[in-house]
Amino acid sequence: IPDALTTTMSPAGCPHVNSFKVDNWKQNLRVIYQCFVWSGSAETRKRKAKSCICHMCGAHLNRLHSCLYCVFFACFAKKHIHEHAKSKRHNLAIDLLYGGIYCFMCQDYIYDKDMEQIAKEEQRKAWKLQGTTALPTCSRTTRCGIGEKYSTWEPTKRELELLRHNPKRRRITSNCTIGLRGLINLGNTCFMNCIVQALTHTPLLRDFFLSDRHKCEMQSNSCLVCEMSQLFQEFYSGHRSPHIPFRLLHLVWTHARHLAGYEQQDAHEFLIAALDVLHRHCKDDNGKKANNPNHCNCIIDQIFTGGLQSDVTCQVCHGVSTTIDPFWDISLDLPGSSTPFWPLSPGGDGSALNGESHTTGATTLTDCLRRFTRPEHLGSSAKIKCSGCHSYQESTKQLTMKKLPIVACFHLKRFEHSAKLRRKITTYVSFPLELDMTPFMASSKESRMNGQYQQTVDPFNNDNKYSLFAVVNHQGTLESGHYTTFIRQHKDQWFKCDDAIITKASIKDVLDSEGYLLFYHKQFLEYE
Amino acid sequence: MLSCSLQVAWKTMSKESRMKATINQKLTEMGERERLKELLRAKLTECGWKDQMKAHCKEVIKEKGLEHVTVEDLMVEITPKGRALVPDSVKKELLHRIRAFLAQHAT
Repeated sequence: IPDALTTTMSPAGCPHVNSFKVDNWKQNLRVIYQCFVWSGSAETRKRKAKSCICHMCGAHLNRLHSCLYCVFFACFAKKHIHEHAKSKRHNLAIDLLYGGIYCFMCQDYIYDKDMEQIAKEEQRKAWKLQGTTALPTCSRTTRCGIGEKYSTWEPTKRELELLRHNPKRRRITSNCTIGLRGLINLGNTCFMNCIVQALTHTPLLRDFFLSDRHKCEMQSNSCLVCEMSQLFQEFYSGHRSPHIPFRLLHLVWTHARHLAGYEQQDAHEFLIAALDVLHRHCKDDNGKKANNPNHCNCIIDQIFTGGLQSDVTCQVCHGVSTTIDPFWDISLDLPGSSTPFWPLSPGGDGSALNGESHTTGATTLTDCLRRFTRPEHLGSSAKIKCSGCHSYQESTKQLTMKKLPIVACFHLKRFEHSAKLRRKITTYVSFPLELDMTPFMASSKESRMNGQYQQTVDPFNNDNKYSLFAVVNHQGTLESGHYTTFIRQHKDQWFKCDDAIITKASIKDVLDSEGYLLFYHKQFLEYE
Repeated sequence: MLSCSLQVAWKTMSKESRMKATINQKLTEMGERERLKELLRAKLTECGWKDQMKAHCKEVIKEKGLEHVTVEDLMVEITPKGRALVPDSVKKELLHRIRAFLAQHAT
């Protein structure tokens, strides 16, 4: 092997591959990748497991390589593959771990464009296969595959052109205020402003709109999603003057008639109405029409939709009837309302988990969630027809979370509209910055029912952990009041949005506030 | 002729090596090896190990010169540091996963 130290590496590969690139070389190379590097199917994996050992020493480690000219596997670390290359004059080998091509003439790994292309394709294929094969063993996180291989983004020619023609750049530093903008009150429209602040600071929603992912199919100018997109452009434009959302207000009046007019409205109602209109205007993100209104794939559903499990247990035969309904928010009853708050059911103390302060005996968000997920006896006047007993029986009903949304919105039911009275419940409810929803999951309930009362918190399971990012507050009475929002910027900076006025807030300000709508974002995003 | 050399190779291996090879075979067959690799990759990125190694590679390249450095050079330089910097928690978790897998598939 000649001295190759003067050869400079170039992305065009090396000249020594030419003798390999003959006849059916592409297909041969693909086969090697499929069988011995990235084995996607059970069959190829088995073959790989059996045959990928060094033909000279039997080792399976030591950076095993395969000769590209013949069927010979040998380890690199012990130079066994080098011996083969020398004696047989086969100057190319492939690393079975990472798929890199080694040239013994150049004495280094080479990067041939054609070969790289084949490698990329085969790797993607193998990953896809692994994602869909039903494997007999399920890993701890119940994921059977690995998902799609991550590849870094590279700009297209058109994108490079656009970047050249638009040289202005905005620098995002850790304390810049981009994204913060006040909203003018157009006459009791704080109920809308407070929700807009929360939505424009929902990270996933922001990313969706700022990367122009909405492709509008509506003929008219009344698409609310387009208007949201425009709103995000305004918020992240860098303008510091307050924005006047008259077009948004008009569209809301058009699509949600019950919210029209200048009287005071409920922010929670506006949130649900807005999500509903956005969901209807979005259609499926992949371009397909939303056939099933309960199960579409639009960005709203991806971010906000969770699944609430309702288990009705017959008190006689103990048969359980389960239904799962989608939800965008969780409405929680508060102590002080006419619905009884105590006593709570035993088991699964979430308060200790979420580190909330019970200093003054204040109710916590976790208390409210425990109450929400408690088994409730439905009473003799509300017997359910049991399919096991074939007759009407008394039963208990219990709600738990089947599927958690990426953004969980908790609605504290502060406005009582019962037949007797209409009032606002101002009970202080303490809520945490970080929330673990594990105790309220359907799966946790199952383990409790199997007798595992002592729930060991799995430190490696991050699926149910949430961080607070927005709080909507209401000041005043049922008849006359004002909405404001605390939103989280960067990691630990909070700001108070009071219509057109934005001020810096402390974490204490946020956590001491009454709380009406609490927005939590999942800390870790997992693949499906 | 090929199978002969493999059999010879198998016989010359120590008991420990043979056990390692068998475990590796099982892991590869069931696709667990790939999953573990990805888990490890994610953990090492999360804890900043990947960035540390990247920085070290850049140093080595600067030292040796971009035109002349080979993959081999980098491997020799960063392997000892890379091995030493893997956090104990990551080692623990991987070991735990492998043990659990082997327990599930004991033959």
